Amino acid sequence: MSNLLNEDIVSQIREVFEKMDQPVHVLFFGAAQNCEYCGEARQLAEEVIALSDKLSLDVHDLDADAELARAYNMDKAPGMALTYKDGGQIVDLGIRYAGIPSGHEFSSFIQDILLASGRDSGLSAATRAFLKSLTAPVSLQVFVTPT
Amino acid sequence: MENPQMVCAEMVEATEFPELANQFGVSGVPHTTINNGKGHVVGAVPEGDLVLGIQKALLN
Repeated sequence: MSNLLNEDIVSQIREVFEKMDQPVHVLFFGAAQNCEYCGEARQLAEEVIALSDKLSLDVHDLDADAELARAYNMDKAPGMALTYKDGGQIVDLGIRYAGIPSGHEFSSFIQDILLASGRDSGLSAATRAFLKSLTAPVSLQVFVTPT
Repeated sequence: MENPQMVCAEMVEATEFPELANQFGVSGVPHTTINNGKGHVVGAVPEGDLVLGIQKALLN
């Protein structure tokens, strides 16, 4: 299979990934059936993860690994969660991707990896204080299109 | 990222999950749905507007 990322893109990403601070671990969930974009999304994840030794990837299946999927609230395929490993433990950062991050979303995905790597949301002090003060869960689903 | 125990933010590719997009009446992007439809924020709004949207949704 040919690569999804061409040489120009690969060298650009390698360059921005040099700014990575801490490691980031990506959990990928695919599905064997009814998943038009699973193959491509997985390949994209693999190609991106290969561009930094601070990145790692685990590939799972929504059905075969149902328990793990539930533990991370993963219910869509292809889906990804941005996490990191602390010792042997996976620490969830609460960042999810449902669907393939292509087009415009590809640069968001790369930016998210950088944010996760810095362990810094970049949000204002007021927003951070508000988020820390939450006593009820908040789920944000940001609908986007690749173009 | 600031409070992963409480907050989960998901990017949803609308064309791959049209049923969900329809359920929340997504007609333009970006469209942010808060707590499964308790609130909506349409557009790439400033950070403070999203916070207000979350605060409003939590009251619903």
